[in-house]
Amino acid sequence: MTRHRHWLKTTLGLLLTAIMLFPVYWMINVSFTRPEHMRKSPPDWFPVDGTLDGYRTVLHDQLPYLGTSLFVGIGTVVLTVVVSAPAAYSLAKLNPRGGRALSFVLLVAQMIPGIIMAMGFYAIYLNLGLLNTVGGLIVADSTLAVPFAVLIFTTFMTGIPDEIMQAAKVDGAGPWRTFRSVVLPVSRNATITVSLFAFLWAWSDFVYASTLDSGGNQRPITLGIYHYIGNNNQEWNAIMATAVVASIPATILLVLAQRYVAAGVTSGAIKD
Amino acid sequence: MTAYLLAFFAYPLYRNLDLSLRDYTVRSFVQGGAPFTGWANYAKVLGDPAFGPALTHTVVFTVVSLTFQFVIGLALAVFFAKSFRLSATLRALFLVPWLLPLIVSASTWSWLLNSDSGVVNAALRMLGVDPVNWLTSPQWSLVSVIIANIWIGVPFNLVVLYSGLRSIPAQLYEAAQLDGANGWQQFWRVTFPLLRPVSAITLLLGLVYTLKVFDLIWIMTRGGPSDSSTTFATWSYRLSFGNLLPAFGPGAAVGNLLIVMALIAGLVYIRAQKRQYEP
Amino acid sequence: MKRKRNLVKGWAVKQTASRRRAVGVALVALVAAGALVACSSEDKTGASGDGGTYTIWDPYPQFDDSSNWVKLLNDCGSKAGVTVKRTAFDTSDLTSKTLLAAQQGNAPDVLIVDNPVISTLAEAGVLTTSDDIKLDTSAIDPNLLGAGQSGGKTFGIPIGANTLALYYNKTVLTAAGVDIASVKDWASLTAALAKVTAAGKKGITFSAIGTEEGSFQFLPWFWGSGANLTKLDSPEAVSALSLWTDWLKKGYAPNSVINNTQTTSWQEFATGQYAFAENGTWQLANAKKTGFEYGIIAVPGISGGTAAAPTGGEFVSVPVQKSTARYAVSQKLVACLTDTDNSLATTTTLSYIAPTAAVQAKQVAANPELKVWVDAVKAAKGRTGDNLGTKYPKISQPMWTAVQAALSGSASPQAALATAQTAAAAATK
Repeated sequence: MTRHRHWLKTTLGLLLTAIMLFPVYWMINVSFTRPEHMRKSPPDWFPVDGTLDGYRTVLHDQLPYLGTSLFVGIGTVVLTVVVSAPAAYSLAKLNPRGGRALSFVLLVAQMIPGIIMAMGFYAIYLNLGLLNTVGGLIVADSTLAVPFAVLIFTTFMTGIPDEIMQAAKVDGAGPWRTFRSVVLPVSRNATITVSLFAFLWAWSDFVYASTLDSGGNQRPITLGIYHYIGNNNQEWNAIMATAVVASIPATILLVLAQRYVAAGVTSGAIKD
Repeated sequence: MTAYLLAFFAYPLYRNLDLSLRDYTVRSFVQGGAPFTGWANYAKVLGDPAFGPALTHTVVFTVVSLTFQFVIGLALAVFFAKSFRLSATLRALFLVPWLLPLIVSASTWSWLLNSDSGVVNAALRMLGVDPVNWLTSPQWSLVSVIIANIWIGVPFNLVVLYSGLRSIPAQLYEAAQLDGANGWQQFWRVTFPLLRPVSAITLLLGLVYTLKVFDLIWIMTRGGPSDSSTTFATWSYRLSFGNLLPAFGPGAAVGNLLIVMALIAGLVYIRAQKRQYEP
Repeated sequence: MKRKRNLVKGWAVKQTASRRRAVGVALVALVAAGALVACSSEDKTGASGDGGTYTIWDPYPQFDDSSNWVKLLNDCGSKAGVTVKRTAFDTSDLTSKTLLAAQQGNAPDVLIVDNPVISTLAEAGVLTTSDDIKLDTSAIDPNLLGAGQSGGKTFGIPIGANTLALYYNKTVLTAAGVDIASVKDWASLTAALAKVTAAGKKGITFSAIGTEEGSFQFLPWFWGSGANLTKLDSPEAVSALSLWTDWLKKGYAPNSVINNTQTTSWQEFATGQYAFAENGTWQLANAKKTGFEYGIIAVPGISGGTAAAPTGGEFVSVPVQKSTARYAVSQKLVACLTDTDNSLATTTTLSYIAPTAAVQAKQVAANPELKVWVDAVKAAKGRTGDNLGTKYPKISQPMWTAVQAALSGSASPQAALATAQTAAAAATK
């Protein structure tokens, strides 16, 4: 490929990303806007004569929430992978009894409305004393990602050639060792995908947080936003500013993770 | 794994069934003792004049969203698969919409599409086109929520399909190139067939998630005006929670109809999968 | 054989160690930071008392632990000799949260909740009556207390009240040559809107969103026409809906009202382009920040006079507990929250009008601007009053649906309200 085409692609990529992120830009724009200009017609394309009030409020109120959200997000990722990768491995390669039925149940499980799940959790947690704990929230958030994770892992693991598993077996590895030293490393792409979504879901979850953790001392940022949604009034610049502030650390994490993947995949190409 | 499933999914599923088969009032919801009424809630929902339009909207919303999400997601995945300067960073940035709490992204969309002060109408006016009442006219409200939903769904399709692409061995492309296949032929002969399992699961999951979407629609239009953007998911929510007086029974019944729709899709998927393995 | 083993090795990922370590360290650091921050945010509200912990739920998430509201809660707790644990919910969430908690026997000791919800919770058997816990409600204005009464029993005390009126922009009206004193009924209001629009400004903004908020905003016009909630398709009701529909058609009101919340509608007014906005007591503080001169008039009736606006605001109530021994303290907490001095402080914080004549007098003495609002609250009417109780939600939903249908042009006001009446009659049968 010529250098010229390279640049063409980068430009096109930048353009596509810009289109995709326009609503995000608009959110940033609103976060700087004074309340009296918010519904100006026609609207301002740039936050001229803006205000930093939204950010001042947010930095003052929201930083602790941010920490909790990160913690919950990463906890959810770990729990999801730990639960779903072995399950998917056995579904994909060990052909357990009722495996097909299980993946079917997983699919249906995802259709249960979040609020109904939350009501169920509320009853269980109240009895277990897990209400308003971060651990409880992590477990609840993992249920958002686990069915997805198992299905994705299964799809990818089914594609692993049987020969390499055979090879491991011949080398004297049991199913567990095969899983650890062959299947897991090979499933990097799937693992990263699953981790990404587990993190994103946990990060943006609202229903569970509000039902299970609203009385807790450590609340995630999605609940922090409710600071600015009073019963009669909403402070939109602060709401948008919260969303901006909240997405910065997570965006950095995503970009880092993506580079990590890119590097890993190139060095892990199949060689024969 | 089975224990995890039983503990966390079976109980809520049972609750939803139970809610839909009894005549719950707010009183019996709290105090217990709601009479068992069998299919009465379902009969009520099916006989509701809102049922027909809600079904149509659900199908249109799901099919249109899914098609565009998948096509755009696949195109972007293929585009990003060849690495170029900034490709990894830009791909990561595509996920930013998912970091935003839905209340924020949905509100931003209603901001953009506002009839009077929205930037979309401002742009249309600049181009000399008549502004459109995106969210407040029965003709456009469904279109508007579909556009927003496609925007939200593209990153999901992009990421899953992208990792699917990365799992296709590079030698196959080299071989195809040696055989003189051009880019387009490579896509149809190599990429597309090998991506089939991942595509199938992406579409299936996408279907399930799209059927479920309610907060986006709820925040943007409340399912209105006059039910023109009501889907089963928003209808279920409105029955159960969108009113001062919750109607849990019919709400759960509508929710279960959605589960049945997903079940059918799941069955189709499993049959298709079987056929793939037994040619 | 050998070949296969190579294959395995080839598949396994060879990752440069340093990069992996770097990202790993970053992740660990993040987790640690998260844990640290999470721990350091440990909540330390509430003076400790010996009487145990009492929970209070309120719909004021905008107030954090340093606010006067939370200080008041804690003070009332220490006076009663207990620790107060307060949780704030989004108002639309609070009903379902309370029902769920009550179902599991975990309801709070004191609940502050939006007034039309009281009848629903009372119906569910979640709330105690004022007889059970011996609350004195004699000083409360009867029209405000009405929303908390059902079947001859009282289920709570208003903590403060608000209602709707018309804010107007003096600059816009003067420029268009409208004298606000001429606006006395619907015809003169519409004439004023016509003048303002002709002068290149915008007429009026309100909220007609498809939720309870939309019904709340429509009710002053509905009641102002002489219509009654038991008959949604009366000619009076049709005239009210036609008024709104015509405003939209003629461009006196923006099309966005169909989707406006009361906040959005207020933001439109705050641009300084609109002559009128229908909005609530709680915007008074924001009105001062707009930078233009404003005034307030009551919503006019169809042929003059003041239309009854619906009452808004929250009620303090005491949910049913397994251990009735807790009521004694809960009663003290409620009495403390609603006593004269505290009521003045609370209503000032919330920008509400007090529910008792004594405190209202103090409010007006401190801020004469509130006079118009005190009068509006006195003329206001509870939504669940008229013995509607839990029938109100079943009427309100068809009503806001009809408003949306008519404004968006998918049905005529007459047809929309006829459909609404059929639906409401079927639901309240």
